[in-house]
Amino acid sequence: MRLEMGTFPVKDVVFGNATRYDAGRLTVDREAILAAVKQDPRIASAELEVARPGESVRIWPVRDVIEPRVKVEGPGVCYPGICGRDIATVGRGRTHRLAGMGVVEVSSVNWHDAGGDFVETHLDMAGPYAEMYPYQKLINLCLVVEPDRTLNEEVKNYAVHNAALTVSDQLAEAVRSLTPPEREVFELTPVDPSLPRVVYIWCVHSPQAMSGSPSAFCTATYGLTQLTPPWYLHPNEILDGALTGPYRTAFAMSWTVANNPLFLDLYRRHGRDWNFLGVISLRTEWTTQTEKQLMANQTAKLAQQLGAQGAVVTWDAGGNEFIEVVRSIQACERLGIKTVFLTSEDDATDGAPTMLEPLPEADAIVSTSFFKNVTLAVPETPAVARVIGLPTKIVRRGSTIGLHGGVDGVALPASGPLPPPWRYDDHYGFGSLSCIE
Amino acid sequence: MISAIYNFALTTGANRVIRGARIEHVCGDPTLSPEKDYAFGMRIVTAALETLTVAVPGPTLFDPMASGKEAAHAS
Repeated sequence: MRLEMGTFPVKDVVFGNATRYDAGRLTVDREAILAAVKQDPRIASAELEVARPGESVRIWPVRDVIEPRVKVEGPGVCYPGICGRDIATVGRGRTHRLAGMGVVEVSSVNWHDAGGDFVETHLDMAGPYAEMYPYQKLINLCLVVEPDRTLNEEVKNYAVHNAALTVSDQLAEAVRSLTPPEREVFELTPVDPSLPRVVYIWCVHSPQAMSGSPSAFCTATYGLTQLTPPWYLHPNEILDGALTGPYRTAFAMSWTVANNPLFLDLYRRHGRDWNFLGVISLRTEWTTQTEKQLMANQTAKLAQQLGAQGAVVTWDAGGNEFIEVVRSIQACERLGIKTVFLTSEDDATDGAPTMLEPLPEADAIVSTSFFKNVTLAVPETPAVARVIGLPTKIVRRGSTIGLHGGVDGVALPASGPLPPPWRYDDHYGFGSLSCIE
Repeated sequence: MISAIYNFALTTGANRVIRGARIEHVCGDPTLSPEKDYAFGMRIVTAALETLTVAVPGPTLFDPMASGKEAAHAS
C-alpha cells in the first residue's frame, strides 16, 4: 500500500471571490462555502472567521480542529465513514493536504445528552496558555455553526461536524489539481530483517458506555465510534483520516490525530531504526473487568501474530480506561513484546500513585506531565480583544488559581480572564512537559 | 464495596469487594424486565450485606453470580 502525500503549506488565509491556493496564500470564498454548509437543512446558522497566530483572539467552544485533506488518486475519500461518507478502504494513491491551518468546529452542541461530559476546550491565539497547544501556530478558519434546536443531540453532533467537514472538503478541493510544493511517499517497504519489529498500539476512547448509544459522535474508525475489538490499521489509512477525533481534550482533535508526532516518527524511521508493523487501534471504556482483560489479551495476541518485538502505547482518555490500556501492556510483556508507554499522570495526592493501576510490567514509561491543568498550576487565560464563538463560557471544575479560583458551573464572559479547561492531557507528545523526577 | 471493575477495589485495599454488573449499572441490568432487574439487583445487594457477617483475612472478592459466595482473594 503506497501513498504519496502532497503538502501545500498555508501561510495566510484571506476571504475573496473564489476559493484558490496560490504560493501559500489560501483565498476563501466565504459566501460559496457557507452556502454549501447551509444546503444541509439541519444547519440553522453558520459563519466563518479567521484566527491568526499572535492575535488577541479566543475561540470558544472548540469541538474539533480538522486539517483539510483530499484524495487525488486511489480509492475512497479522506476522513472516511464519518457523517455517512464513503467507507472504501483508504491509504493508496495520492492525497493532498493543507498544512499549517485548521478548520475549527465552533458550536454550542455538547457531545451527548447523558451528562457529565462537556465540551470544555477554548483556544487562544496568543499567550502562555496558547503556547501549550499546537493550534496557536496554525491559521485557523473557524466555522461558528449552530444546528436546528429541535434535533436530538446525536443528530446535532453529526450535523455540525458534517458542516466542518464540508468546509474542509471545499478548501482541500482547491489544491486537488495543483502540483504540491512538498511530496512524501509513505509505504511499508521490505526492510533489513535484523531491524526490530515495532507496532503502535493506539488506544482511543469509545463514547458508547458513557452516552448509552453505539452511534454517539466521538473519536471514530471509518466513522464507527462504538466499542469494537482491536483494529489493525495500515498507517496509510490513518494518513487518509480513517482514525478521527474529536474527544474531550484539545489533544484529541482530528488535527492532532492526523499530525500525531509519535505516529509520524514511527513511520518515517521505518527501515532505518526499526521495522514499523502498523497500528493496532484499541477501543477503550469497556465496562466489565472481563471485557477489559479480553481486549488486552486480544491486543497482545494480535501484536504477537504480527511478529512484534516491541510496542509503543498511547491512550486518549482517563479513569477506568487505564485498565485495558495497562493490561494490554502487561499482556504484551508476558508474550515477550517489550513496551513503551506514553502517558500523562494524575496528581499524587496523599501519596497515591499517579497511575490508576501501576503494574510492574509497565516499566518503560514516558510521561507527558500531569493531565489536569490545576496540578500543572496553569494560570487563568487573560482577557482577549476578540472572541470567535459564544460570548459566555460555563466553567466546569475550574482551576483553583486566579480570580475565579474554584468556580464550577459559573457562566463567565468568554472575553475575560478564564480558568483553563480541567484537562490538559498531551496524549501524543506535542509538548515538552514531562514528569518530576 | 460493590464494583464492576473489582480489581481497583482489591488493589486499593477494600476488604470485602462484591462483583457488580457494569460500570454504567453496577447493581442492575436495563436489558432485563423490571421484575428480573429488581431480583438481579437484590441478589447483588443481599450478597454485599451478607459479606459483612464474614471474617476476611484481607481484600477479598465475592461474586454474587458464582455458586459459592467467595470467589477469589486479591493475592
